[in-house]
Parts: sequence; structure tokens; C-alpha cells
Amino acid sequence: MPEKEEFLKLMKDKIGPSIDKKGRLYFEVLNEHILEVADYLFKKLGCRLSTATCMEMYRGIEVLYHFSHDATGQYFCPRVVMTDRNNPQMNSISNIVTGAEWIEREMAEYWGVKFIGHPRPEPLLTKEHPKGEGLGQPFRIRRMS
Amino acid sequence: MNRNVIPVGPFHPLLEEAEYFTLTVDGETVVDIDLDIGWMHRGHELISERKTFTQSIYLVERICGICSTSHPIACVHAVEDVDNIEIPERAAYIRTLIGELERIHSHLLWLGLAGHFIGYDTVWMWAWKYREPVLQMFEIISGNRNHYGMMRVGGVAKDVDPARVPELLNILDMVDEKMHMIANAAKDDPVLKSRLKNVGILSKQAAIDYCAVGPTARASGVHTDVRKDEPNDAYGMVDFKEIVLENGDVYDKLVLRLLETLESTKICRQCLAKLSHSNGPILNNVKEIGVGEGIGRYEAPRGEVFHYIRSDGSNRPIRHKVRAPSYVNIPTFKASCKGIPVADALITLAAVDPCYCCTERALKIIDKNHDPFALDLLNLSRQKTEKIRRETYGAK
Repeated sequence: MPEKEEFLKLMKDKIGPSIDKKGRLYFEVLNEHILEVADYLFKKLGCRLSTATCMEMYRGIEVLYHFSHDATGQYFCPRVVMTDRNNPQMNSISNIVTGAEWIEREMAEYWGVKFIGHPRPEPLLTKEHPKGEGLGQPFRIRRMS
Repeated sequence: MNRNVIPVGPFHPLLEEAEYFTLTVDGETVVDIDLDIGWMHRGHELISERKTFTQSIYLVERICGICSTSHPIACVHAVEDVDNIEIPERAAYIRTLIGELERIHSHLLWLGLAGHFIGYDTVWMWAWKYREPVLQMFEIISGNRNHYGMMRVGGVAKDVDPARVPELLNILDMVDEKMHMIANAAKDDPVLKSRLKNVGILSKQAAIDYCAVGPTARASGVHTDVRKDEPNDAYGMVDFKEIVLENGDVYDKLVLRLLETLESTKICRQCLAKLSHSNGPILNNVKEIGVGEGIGRYEAPRGEVFHYIRSDGSNRPIRHKVRAPSYVNIPTFKASCKGIPVADALITLAAVDPCYCCTERALKIIDKNHDPFALDLLNLSRQKTEKIRRETYGAK
């Protein structure tokens, strides 16, 4: 897969150790590099953002983006881990990928993650709820691996 | 500037699920649209994390009543991806057969509703009439007309009886013949072409920016089809074409779905031929799922269904993320609805195939002179078709 090798070569200083499993490349990215990685995957490689998954693990709150490279059927999955559970925040990729707008809003209200630079940082699913009754931290998954 | 706001929803005949669109119109032109979701909290992801992997399959089957096998297929793909589980070849063909039959009945359902919205009630009746035999095929195969309960991690739950394959092929032949008839009629109809051509265009760039999937993206010239990109199950073993059109308007979305239905009948025929001449296991015995994470996806009738599962080695997922195709297709309204006449709004919203229900509610707006009048989007849409019909064929 030349795209993957090119990506790993160009981004070797920006990403952590990667796991390649059956065409799915999982790797960790620091918050300060996520915009650059997303820009490369979306604009240079032509990947499509399938969605993003937020979860709580031992190390902190984790946001895992799923970029699909439709031409080859491969997946690039950058993972950002926020260790400050009480104030998790990371850069929003919505200004690069318009399609990330809804899922980032959803993660913000379900998991309490603040997406810095989001073009429309308002609730997606709990807009009509009385103020202060959003979901967020109390609804995080209790079980951790 | 004389701007009015037309609310559509949260409960509206256009929408099977409760969603809320706010159309801002200037005269008869839509100048902006705002989308508001979150009217139903079903909690599937959290519930799934409290179920076993097998129970989760039944749970996700109930996310959608129309494409009720797409979520289970994506779900079992994700679990199988965690532990690199292979499935028997016969099970792969059965999964593909079920998935393609679902595509046929879903596209026919959409076609009928689209016909109704623009005043082609004959298309509505025909499409739904010929959808019925497809549901009969499901009943023959699985015992159920909907929610088939066929998927299992490692294969499928029920075999297709080779003795009943000729009966299934006969029904498929009839559906195929009728689909050709409807497709030819739709392509040759000048009124339909005038009514839908260049209506609600979603440009290729907008489809890419919004990460649109399925027929919504393919009608705009974007090559995205999980069946070709990552051919799971039997998709790598059957012959079919990925239909991609260029204009991105409602007409292209209609033609694309009709052509896809014909491709689906071709795939079903190949699967049935294989199933009638072979035997073998349909389910591998999977005793436990290891630690890890997996991605499962399937090309549902509306586009890519995506499931992500993370396992800690117990018998249930610790995280189960579900993304349905409408979640990424609905925001494309922002791009496709701006600048269109309000009479085209209904069919443009319907063209991405969000779910529908069968009730209708007229809504009232007040104009600047405070004269109350009823604005019914459905009638506006049908009146425009009638106007084109009269212009094409004369007053009669």
C-alpha cells in the first residue's frame, strides 16, 4: 500500500507507534499534530471521514477518527488521548473536514470534550434540553479496559 | 427583503424519523436551511455495551426497519475484524443475497415515495406492488418479511434450501422484468426529466466535503461503494458494476437507484446459482472474541453503514460505535437546497432517502400582509409536476 508507506514516512515525527491490521492503520497523534494529519489524510490522500469514536480508557478520554481511503479500501485511524479527564479538550478538524462537524458536536455533548475552533460549538442532540441538563461526563462509559 | 421561515418537522410526512428542518425562503426561493436532530434518543450504543456480541446483532437489527440487515452485517463484520474470524463461503453468498434483496426493496420503497411526492402515483403503486414479491423472497429464505435474524458472528443463522431456489429465481425474474419496465419508462418520460433534471444539485466537491456516502455521493460523481472498495462476503466473487453518475441532481439519484436495482438482481441471480449447486457449512463455531478493536462496514441501500467495536476479551463490547448513512447524508441539504424553488424542496430533501412515515400535516405560515394561507409542500411539488405535464402534453 504505497499511500500508507508514504504517510508513515512523511508523518514519522508527528505520530506515535502504529498498528497495521488487515488494512486498518491505528496510530496515536498528539493534539498539536491532529490538524496536520487530518489535512494530509483528507486533502492530500483523498480520504473520506467515516466517523469518529469517543471512549474513556484508563489513560483518559480518547477520540479515534476513522478515515476511509475508498480507492484502496484501507482505513487510517488517528487517535488523540486527553489525559485531563475533568477538562478534556482538543483541536477541531471541522474546518478541514466539513463532514466532521456533527460528530464533533455529538462527542462534545456526550463526552464533555471541548473541540477548540469548532465552527458551531452548540449541542447537536440536546439543543432543546434545559440548560445544564446535557449528557457529558455522567454518561461516560463506566467500564474501562 | 421578504423572507419567511418554513418549519418542516419535527413530525412531518416527509420524515419517518423526527427531524426538524427550517427552510428560509425569499419569495419562492430557498435561501438557507438549518437542520436540527436529536428528537429521539434510542441509546443503541450504550445498550449494546450491556449485551453479548450475539445479542447486539439483534439490537442493531432494530435501528432501521427498512434496511434492517445492513446494521447486523456491519456489526458482525466489526466483531469478525476484532479477531480475524473467517466465514464459510456458503454463508458469504447468503449474506450477499440478503443484502442485495434488501437493496432492491429499499430502492423500490424510495421510488414509490418519490413518485408520490411529485404526483406520479402510478409509479408509487407499481413500485410498491413489485416490492411485495421481494418481501415474499425474504419470507421464503428466513421466515420473516422484515428483521430476518440471519446474521451471526462467523456466518449466518439459516441456510437457503436448494430445493426452493427455482421458486426464488422465478420471483426474481418477474421483479427484474418489471424493474426494466419501470427504468425504461422513467428514462423515456419527458415530464419526469423536466421535473427532476437540474433540481437539488449536490456538486461533487460538496459531496466530498460533507463525506456523503451511497447513492447521494455516487450520483455526484464520487466513487464510493463499500462493495467495491472493500469487497467483503461474496462481493469479490460476483460480477456487478458500480453505478456512478455525474450531475448530482434528483434525476441522477433516481436513475442511479433504478440502475443499482438491476445490478442487485444480477448479484442475487449469481448468489442463487451458487447456492443451488453447492453445499457446506454456514456457520463457523466462534467461542470467544479476543481483545482488540474492529471496524465493520456494509454498503446499505442509503450508503455506508459503519460499526466500530472494541473488545476487552469478555463476551460483550466495551465500546460499540454506530454511524448510519443518513447521519452524513442529511447535512448535504445545506449544499443542495440553497437557491432552489420551494416547490422542489420536498423532492430534494427526499432524494437522499431519509426515512419516511405515512402521515401528513399541512403547515401554515403568515405572509407579510398577515393573510393566513396554508402552504403544503407536497401539493406545491405535485402542482409543479402537473404544470410541466400540461406544458409538455397540452391541457388534457
